[in-house]
Amino acid sequence: MEVRDLDCLYEPCPIPLIKAIKELKTLNSGDILVVHSDQSCVGAVIVEWAEQNNYPVKLVETNVGEWEVYIQKP
Amino acid sequence: MMQWLKKPWPYWIGGVLLGLLNVVLLALTGSAWQVTGGFLLWGAGVLELLGFRPFEWEFFKIYDYKFGEIILHHNIFINKYTILNIGVVAGSLAATLLASQFRLKKAKNIRQAMFALLGGIMMGYGARLTGGCNIGSFFSGIPSFSLHAWVFWIFVILGAWAGVNVLKRFLV
Repeated sequence: MEVRDLDCLYEPCPIPLIKAIKELKTLNSGDILVVHSDQSCVGAVIVEWAEQNNYPVKLVETNVGEWEVYIQKP
Repeated sequence: MMQWLKKPWPYWIGGVLLGLLNVVLLALTGSAWQVTGGFLLWGAGVLELLGFRPFEWEFFKIYDYKFGEIILHHNIFINKYTILNIGVVAGSLAATLLASQFRLKKAKNIRQAMFALLGGIMMGYGARLTGGCNIGSFFSGIPSFSLHAWVFWIFVILGAWAGVNVLKRFLV
């Protein structure tokens, strides 16, 4: 199982979501993608997208105004 | 820290609140919410300080009903539009501080900074051609039964479509 980081700090919506979708295509089933972001809306849209597409997802606020979104490829 | 400020609110709650606040603003001040009119005055004010005479331009004759008194009384930099814009910044700052999400952001790289600058110039120029931005021309225009707000809306959608394609091509 691979865990891959995707640095999306300082990037506004919807760039992190588009990047995450692209990155997930290159991962295998069971692998986890960690998206790093500093925008509250990024976590919200990625969680919404993941739930609609049945990807297990978890949003963690790791620091003041900084988030990590964990997405697992089903 | 306030939990109800931590997560982005649904669009419909924001829309309803903005609509109600705009009605209150209109009732109190006699004009609906607008943003870029204030920046226009600032820009023209800076040109005036540099020795130009922007307020004699044809452009300001069209908007005399709006800016005439402000220009006449030399309130170019501090006027009701400035107060509204300061309010927007102060309100956003208060919300992000209360949610403990305040953070200074940097540009990711030169490319992002250049696109942001280019986009800002295009938005500013476009706002002058249409007589306002998303707020003044669209958000305050539709409830005013202004036909131009609907034309604005169609072209904003076309512009957003073009913008998404530029974004996908150059920024992802």
